[in-house]
Amino acid sequence: MADENDIILGIDLGTTNSLGAYFTAGGPKLIRDETGNGMVPSVIALAEGKVSVGSEAKRQAVLNPLTTVYSVKRLMGRGLADVQQELRFLPYHIVEGNHETVRVEVDGRLLTPQELSAIILNEVRGRAEQALGRKITQAVITVPAYFDDAQRQATRDAGRLAGLDVKRIVNEPTAAALAYGLDRKESATIAVYDLGGGTFDVSILRVDKGVFQVLSTHGDTHLGGDDLDRELIDLITTEIQSQFGSHLSFGPSTRQALRDFAEMTKIRLSAELSATVEVDLGEGRVYRRTITREEFERRAKPWIDRTIDACRQAVTAAGVSVEEIEQVVMVGGCTRIPLVRRAVEEFFQREPYTAINPDEVVALGAAVQAGILAGVQRQMLLLDVIPLSLGIETLGGAVGKLIMRNSTVPCRASEVFTTSIDGQTSVDIHVLQGERELVIDCRSLGRFRLTGVPPMPAGLPRIRVTFQVDANGILHVSAVEERSGRAAAVQITPSHGLTGEEVDRMVKESWKYAITDMTAHRLIDLRNETQRILAAIEKSLARAGSVLLPAQKQALDAAVAALRAAAAGEDADALWNAMSAANDAAMPLTQAQMDAVLEQTARGRKVDEF
Amino acid sequence: MSNEHSHAGNPASPPEDSAAGVMTKCVACSRELRSAVVCDYCHTLNPIGAPTDYFALLGVPRLFNLDADELRRRYLELSRHAHPDFFTGGSEESQVLAMTISSSLNDAYRTLSDPFERAEYLEELLGGPSSAVDKTTPQGFLDEMMVLQEELTEARLAGDHLALERHGETLRARLAQMMARVAELFADFESQLGCEGIRLECLGRIRRQLNAVSYIRRLVSMTAGT
Ligand SMILES: [Zn+2]
Repeated sequence: MADENDIILGIDLGTTNSLGAYFTAGGPKLIRDETGNGMVPSVIALAEGKVSVGSEAKRQAVLNPLTTVYSVKRLMGRGLADVQQELRFLPYHIVEGNHETVRVEVDGRLLTPQELSAIILNEVRGRAEQALGRKITQAVITVPAYFDDAQRQATRDAGRLAGLDVKRIVNEPTAAALAYGLDRKESATIAVYDLGGGTFDVSILRVDKGVFQVLSTHGDTHLGGDDLDRELIDLITTEIQSQFGSHLSFGPSTRQALRDFAEMTKIRLSAELSATVEVDLGEGRVYRRTITREEFERRAKPWIDRTIDACRQAVTAAGVSVEEIEQVVMVGGCTRIPLVRRAVEEFFQREPYTAINPDEVVALGAAVQAGILAGVQRQMLLLDVIPLSLGIETLGGAVGKLIMRNSTVPCRASEVFTTSIDGQTSVDIHVLQGERELVIDCRSLGRFRLTGVPPMPAGLPRIRVTFQVDANGILHVSAVEERSGRAAAVQITPSHGLTGEEVDRMVKESWKYAITDMTAHRLIDLRNETQRILAAIEKSLARAGSVLLPAQKQALDAAVAALRAAAAGEDADALWNAMSAANDAAMPLTQAQMDAVLEQTARGRKVDEF
Repeated sequence: MSNEHSHAGNPASPPEDSAAGVMTKCVACSRELRSAVVCDYCHTLNPIGAPTDYFALLGVPRLFNLDADELRRRYLELSRHAHPDFFTGGSEESQVLAMTISSSLNDAYRTLSDPFERAEYLEELLGGPSSAVDKTTPQGFLDEMMVLQEELTEARLAGDHLALERHGETLRARLAQMMARVAELFADFESQLGCEGIRLECLGRIRRQLNAVSYIRRLVSMTAGT
């Protein structure tokens, strides 16, 4: 099973940084570059058709703020209304997309957050391939535990767009627990406090001889280190304006520079008691200021208090007392902030545990889960939970809960529906996620239309709808009409997400739009595709070549020769064009074969009938 | 659109005849199955034969008085063989089976590991009246609660957290006491082997006690604020 080519890459797709790791007999290992750095900044620069990712993109952000995209994770599975808070801080343009999603407008293109995340995933994958010297096609990707269904699906779709078979979506705090190897403990109750760049999670787990059972999870997908940076940005901009005039507005480059200053200051203040900021505003205007740790902490405190509130709720939901929690694990770069450590220690009455680098622990845990899925790590098992309740809209805009939050996944529930009009053949179901009683207070997950219900008098059909949440925390809906035993077809209109067809189309277009062309992959993939096409054409020619007109045959021969030549070359774009041309030239052949098949089926049926 | 109720996790109509302890055989090794879905010997997953109750799924005796540690040990052991994580390389069919079985085990454990949920489930499984049918409580209970509920509402309106906390503590102690009584009533039921009339009377008493417990649980959540 643990074939050499079967390596599953563990990926921490973070708001600010992304990392990759893989599982070995000696435990999980981080993918590092020549300088020993494992972190790829989750930053993408797109300009004039050129894509750069990571440190390179981050370096030129101040010069090209409008074509540099960061914090994409905050947009995953979100609609324009959800990201209003973010909009005023993100220098790039965000517009509305289909089904309450957003698109990023950059370099004359409209890109989905999924496509942008795919670029980052592809970069992490490329680095891993280089480090390991082999092709990687499978991955485990981590998400904040508090991500809802739409955000999880968006992450999985991003993986697909990057050409990865996503074997599992794992929650970040749980991954961290796996990385800590706490399985050596006989039995213990632990808490994981995870403050990342843009999200906060806390999970309470029970560990029992290698089985990690999540008891509860709580969090906030709008709270992270970015918010602390913004506190500093607000402080600096307010002071600059009061010093040099309130009319002073900041261009995108200045805003980007301020962001960098703020991030650096935040990091410095974890080690030092004060940090000095100097901003040259031109024309001899220089803003200079020393910010003390105490000042920063005063501004950060309300955010940290919110995380402690979430901890309190998670502990209650787990049905344990704070005293029973034997260990508190810290995850995410922000847990280096002394205020965060003090607050966590005070709440849990225990010194937090930080043996593993908080930036790397999630990726390492993803690699452990990859090891479990590959069958090389059979001593451990993760039993995770769904973070938010699932329900359906009932009469009067109320929500009927089907699956309660903190239920262990996979889990399922079923409900029987019927029709209200004679002969009705379809039923609509609106699925929601959240804890509140009313539809307007919950998050719409999508509308499911069940079709193919046999026409019957109103109220007679018994349509049993099964809501299955898989181990990724993603919902699947299926339906059967019990009187006829017929399965109903389920059509999904996602809220805040892409339809299956949209993802399929993007996978195809990703070749054209060069989403996956940062590495040699594109050429390899195109060559493989070429081999498939050539084989298919050859087979068709042997079977139905006689239907082609001489001119058609000539055109096809020429296109095939051109495709062979292009496949031998190094130009991916030329190969793509040659492939499309060969496909077009083979059209009459494909058509003729299709007709033949149809005719045969028609004949077959007639024989049956008589 | 309209929909009938069928509670997630509760079988629509508990089977009368599926006695405790399934005596079916493993599809792979033909040895007797303790859990209806995971073979203890060869760990093969067995398809869920309908109808299978939660006790049979986990392979524990159909009793109210279950040892919490033993139940958990059993659940984790079965999950170690049934979780979808261990079938990612297998056939589509085996993956679906693992997901179905894992989902059922998770449902079963969630219900049976909570004494109140376990009591409710067992009461219906044994053919007792559901809370929708019989809403009565033990004599004198409601009168007593009326006074308490008034005090609670007042404390909530006044934002008197201390009073709420005090009430919460008293109520939780009361809850524990009442659940101990539930255990006694189930033991009573189990000792009445022969007479159907007496058994039904026992189930009626359990129903009334559980209705009272459910009431107290709501009050406890009132003291927790929100
Ligand atoms: Zn067996």
